[in-house]
Order: sequence, then C-alpha cells, then structure tokens
Amino acid sequence: MEKRGRRSFLEIATAFIGGLISLAAGIPLIGFAISPAFKKGESKWVDLGLADRLKNSRFRKVDYTFTAKDGWVKATKKRSVYVTDAGNGEWRVFSRTCSHLGCLVRWDAEKESFLCPCHGAIFDKTGVVVAGPPPEPLQKLQTKVEAGILYVKET
Amino acid sequence: MRQFLNERLPLEAFSAHLRKPLPKHINLLFSFGSLAMFLLLLQAATGAFLAFYYSPSPEHAYNAVTYISTEVPFGAFVRGLHHWGASAMVIIVVLHLLRVVLYSSYKAPRELTWIFGVLLLLIVLGFGFTGYLLPWDEKAYWATVVGVEIASTAPGLGDFVAKVLRGGTEIGAVTLSRFYALHTIWLPWLVFGLVGAHLFFVRYYGSSGTPKNTPEDMEAGKPFYPHQVFEDVVGMLILFIVLAVVALFVPVPLEDVADPTNADYDPRPEWYFLFLFQLLKYFQGPFEVIGTFIIPTVGMLLLLFLPFLDRSERAVLWKRPIALTVTSVSVIGIVVLTILGGTSKKLETQETAQPTEAIQGAVTPATEIEQVEEGEEVFDFQLTEEEIEGAVEVEESQ
Repeated sequence: MEKRGRRSFLEIATAFIGGLISLAAGIPLIGFAISPAFKKGESKWVDLGLADRLKNSRFRKVDYTFTAKDGWVKATKKRSVYVTDAGNGEWRVFSRTCSHLGCLVRWDAEKESFLCPCHGAIFDKTGVVVAGPPPEPLQKLQTKVEAGILYVKET
Repeated sequence: MRQFLNERLPLEAFSAHLRKPLPKHINLLFSFGSLAMFLLLLQAATGAFLAFYYSPSPEHAYNAVTYISTEVPFGAFVRGLHHWGASAMVIIVVLHLLRVVLYSSYKAPRELTWIFGVLLLLIVLGFGFTGYLLPWDEKAYWATVVGVEIASTAPGLGDFVAKVLRGGTEIGAVTLSRFYALHTIWLPWLVFGLVGAHLFFVRYYGSSGTPKNTPEDMEAGKPFYPHQVFEDVVGMLILFIVLAVVALFVPVPLEDVADPTNADYDPRPEWYFLFLFQLLKYFQGPFEVIGTFIIPTVGMLLLLFLPFLDRSERAVLWKRPIALTVTSVSVIGIVVLTILGGTSKKLETQETAQPTEAIQGAVTPATEIEQVEEGEEVFDFQLTEEEIEGAVEVEESQ
C-alpha cells in the first residue's frame, strides 16, 4: 500500500514538473511567435501628387510608393488606389483591395462599378457592395490636401 | 476515452514496458542521457521558433538576428536558450559518454548503442559548426572560413569537400543557405533517426547498470517509470532553470557584421572547438595534416570502435589501467588544449598597410509588391521629397 502511494506521488510530481517546464519554455516561445499579432501598425501620410494634376471627375488608378519597416528590412512598398475628386474639395480615394478576400478590384467605366476578378464582387462608385460576397464596402482612405499636395493615410 | 484508446493501442503493454525494473545501483549519472534528450527537444523547439524570424542570406541574416535579439518580444530569451543550450548539449553529451566509459557500458551486447551514440556526438558538433555561421557576424564568418579550410586539408577529397561545404570557392550566400539547410533540415532528420535507433537499443538491451551488478541485480532495481523518470525530470528542471537564468542575464554575443576584408579580426571558434584550434598550432608545414586530419580522424575512429578494441572484462574505469590511462590522457589533453586555446594571446599587430577605398557595402534590397496588371493606364504623380519641400516653402511664403 505504501509502495503504491509513493508511486502515485512520483507520477503526479513527474507530470507536474514536466508541465512546469513545458509552460516555462512554452509561454515565451508562443509569445515570441505570435507577437506580430499584437504589434500596432504605424500610420503615415503619403503623398499622391499635386492635387491639381489629380483632379478628375472620373476614377484614375494611381500607384504610389512609400518606405516602411518590414521586420528587419526598410522596405519600399508599392500601393495602388482609385482616385477621383467629388467636387467641393472632397476626394474619394479607394483602396483597390477587395474587402472580401484581398484580390485587386478593377474600375469599369462603362458600368461605373468596381469589379473583383476573384468571386464576382461588384462595388458602386461610392464603394458600396452591389453584388457578391464582400461583407464590407471598399476601404476609403483618409485624405488631406496640404500645400496643394494630396496625401492619403497609409495604415 | 481510456477504454477507447486501450482497445486500439497497446497502451497496457507500453505501460508495463515503461514500468520494467532497472538494475540495482543506478545513480544520478544515469540521467545524462535523458538530459541530452531534453536538450535536443529544447534546441529543436527554440530553433523552430527562431526560424520564424530568420532569413539565410548575407543581406538579411545579421539584421534578422539583431531584430530577434532587440525587437521581438522574448527574442533575446529564446535566442539565449538556443545559444547556451548548444553549449549545454556538448557538455551533457560528453558527460554521458564519460559515464558510459566509466562503467564500461559499451561492452557486448551494447556495441551498437555506443556506435550510434558516438555518431550522435558527431551530429551535435555538426549542429554547432553549422549553427554559428547563421548570425553572419565576424565570428561566424571567420570561424567558418577556418573550419572549412581544415576540411580542405584532408588528403585526396579535401578540396572537393570544402567546395561542397562552401557551395563554391568562398564563403558567401550559397554557403549560408546550405549551412542553414544542414542545420535545420538535414541534421535534424539525421539526429532524430539516430536518436530513435539509440533509444531502441537502450530499451532493447536494457540499462547496462554498473559493473557491480550481478545477473540477479539486473531486474531488481526501481522501475524506470515513475522512479527514474522522476529523477530525470528533476534534473531537467534544474538544467532548464540554469539555462533560463543564463539566457536572461548573459546576452548572446553578436559581433559586427561579417566583413571579408577585416584583417584585424582574430578568428576564434566556439569553446568546444578550441582544443582543435589549439592543436593545429603544433603542426606546421608538411605536418599540418596531422593536426587537421589524422589526429581528429584517428581519434574519432578509435572512439567509434572502442567496444571492439577494449576486450577487457567489464569493470569500473579505475580497475582498467589501460582504459583509465587513455581516457585520462584524452580528457586532460582536450581540457588543457581548450584552456590554452581560450587564453592564447590574440595578435597585437593591427593592419598597418595603407587603407583601401571603401568597397561597396551590402545593400538591403527593397521588397516591392508588383500589383500592376497589363493593359490599364497607370498614373504616378507622386512627388520627390525636394518637390514636396518646395511646395511647402511656397505655401509658407504666401
């Protein structure tokens, strides 16, 4: 009976110490791996060009670049947006990334819609979903004009 | 659940196997094998996680390691565990080997267990050698230059082996890439295969016990589980605490980024290769090959085939005069050479020649995301920094 009690104690103690080591090693390791999920992205204003040159009642596809930290690399990132001025100093700048699964939408001037090539999503010229699976409208980027230059907020 | 598993798996037989009694007179020295196994798992886990943030290219490796050490939460700790764990592994594996020699546990029928164990020692050293190139700092670069040059002195195939190791005629991107592949894919596959075989032999032949054990003693000790396993996990806990404290308080060295033109750098290998580093100083000119190839190879072959060379009766080391002499001389020799290598004076003469023009440095290429499809007109009105400053100045002056 005594032997059995000792054996049972050793089994529990072995499992406890094993669990303790696993936790002590596992928590930092998992924290190390998942830490990017808790990292706040930096937002910055990026210039698109002189507002006067960008003025257009129709959507234009505009590419721009900016530098951002990508892990240990200072990378030049390239982005593409659709830009139009809605008059009265209001700018509409839409991200081309479909709000469904991240494919790039295309502007169809005839249909006055943004079409997604992946799952058939359609957004109207205000970015609202007209058809297809996206749960949200197209992302409208924050804009500002300073010294005649149009900026978008890159997050 | 238990019943479900019992009906499908031989759990009872497995449990009975684990609870088989060990020989009498098993002591704490018999835990070194389990500690080595624990360190192997710890190295595998920390290494697998470090790989999340590592990039094996000369442009990225050093910055990636700096990033791990300085910016990733727990990064310095995880890298510390991996770095100091490697040193602990060498120490524990050598102590494990010495325990086997002490009790002459390598003798029949356990020759295969021994041979696979010696192969595992070589793999551990291989992990060390391929691992410390990865941070791509001065030490990494120059120790690898010297290490590969040592391999090149092997008669016949030396030059070929060196070129294969480097992936060319000099250390560079291809070398780093293949050392990374060796360190993270090839050696782990090999080590798990060899550990599997080693453990199979350990369980198949049973623990050797000590020479004191009579045949009746061999199954008269405490059961492996939970008694021996409990002692092993206590050892693992102590080892982990020591490693964790060292990882927390002793920063892992990271020297300047590798510079193939730095003539002022005094290359020194990791401490566990210092004996070899020191040995090479005593063999000069045509005798170089004795230090670089003949002594290490003959030493390894003698170690590998020790069970077939030592035909004496099983007894504790101090009752085997020849084995005692050879072991003592080898251990003392390696320790003395390591100390001499570690304390040897570095060259005091600095480069005095006219400095060269700075050569082009490593440029980190920018990553670009190609998102432009054909057939669509793209506008790019983005301004240069000078143009933006100009526009701002104009507005401020108005």
